[in-house]
Amino acid sequence: MHVILIEPDRIQAKLYKTSLEQAGCTVEHVTGAQAAVHAADEQTPDIVVLEMQLTGHSGVEFLYEFRSYAEWLQIPVILHTFVPAHELAHGATLKESLGVKRILYKPTTSLVDLCEAVRTVALSRV
Amino acid sequence: MRQSGDQVQLSEEQKLFLGVVEQISRPLVTISRMSELALTSECTTTDQWQIVQSIINASLQLVESYSLNLRVRGKLTPLNLEPITVSALLYDTAERLNPFAKQYGVEIELEPGPRAQPVITDKVVLQSALESLGQVFVMAQAEVERHAYVRLGAHRSAHGVVAGYYTASSTLGVDSLRRAHAMQGTARQPFQQLVNGPAAGVFVAESLLQTLSVHLHVAKYHNMTGLATTLLPSQQLQLV
Repeated sequence: MHVILIEPDRIQAKLYKTSLEQAGCTVEHVTGAQAAVHAADEQTPDIVVLEMQLTGHSGVEFLYEFRSYAEWLQIPVILHTFVPAHELAHGATLKESLGVKRILYKPTTSLVDLCEAVRTVALSRV
Repeated sequence: MRQSGDQVQLSEEQKLFLGVVEQISRPLVTISRMSELALTSECTTTDQWQIVQSIINASLQLVESYSLNLRVRGKLTPLNLEPITVSALLYDTAERLNPFAKQYGVEIELEPGPRAQPVITDKVVLQSALESLGQVFVMAQAEVERHAYVRLGAHRSAHGVVAGYYTASSTLGVDSLRRAHAMQGTARQPFQQLVNGPAAGVFVAESLLQTLSVHLHVAKYHNMTGLATTLLPSQQLQLV
């Protein structure tokens, strides 16, 4: 399973990447929205793990851009973010129109939880 | 009667506190996840302990800055104004910031400027402000895919000695600083053009600088843009 991990904090990214790789995923880490689009262009991911708080283009901007390409419409996205779910504006739109399958709040999401969410969401797609 | 869900305007102190708390939660999450990973692997390497040490030290620095700001404002800690050489202070600041920057793959380029004039200020307060601000710039540049560096520099201007951090980023400007002020305390990422997260170091630094009767402003130097403060040189000391 190929994961694109969009995470601006390099130290945290290394932890998530290691954990997901131990769970059997291949992981491409990028720090921003633009690089994520390029990475998806290089190798289509099975799933995207996204931090909403990005510098420059936000996570929401990435989602609109990502979903504007027909070939990426069905790729599931997990939000793994410092923004709690109840604070995310347009939460319903995120889920219904932008294909967000899970919203994980970082302070309360362990590495095990993250890997389990990635596995479950990816399996539900099959 | 206030309706459930109505927003209440936070005071400036509350906004600052909220930003610091939300900022500090980030390294705590990092350490928590590192420990989780360490428990499942055979050993923890020296590199991992160095990461833990540097992010804890950076967090402690921010807490100390926040505390110092409150203490100075409450006159619990008096300002100790003395003549200082800005270049020496920048050198110390870079030394202290380097371990943190190194963990994020960011280089601190020090440019203390040619014979920067002495200024009268509180060294501890100014250094604390610059260190808090520096952390934000390090985090911002850590997102850059190519060679990441931050320039910590000082130069003379018509108004005084300008000291601060500069990057090659073209997105930082007067408008983005103004927007950041407007969003502080309401948005979780008030300074989106600079860095992800609360950017608490910017606001703590700004508050500390205000206690020295100077302010944080957008500055340009050598085709780079940054945030800096302009310190007034001591006219008397220039004659010495």
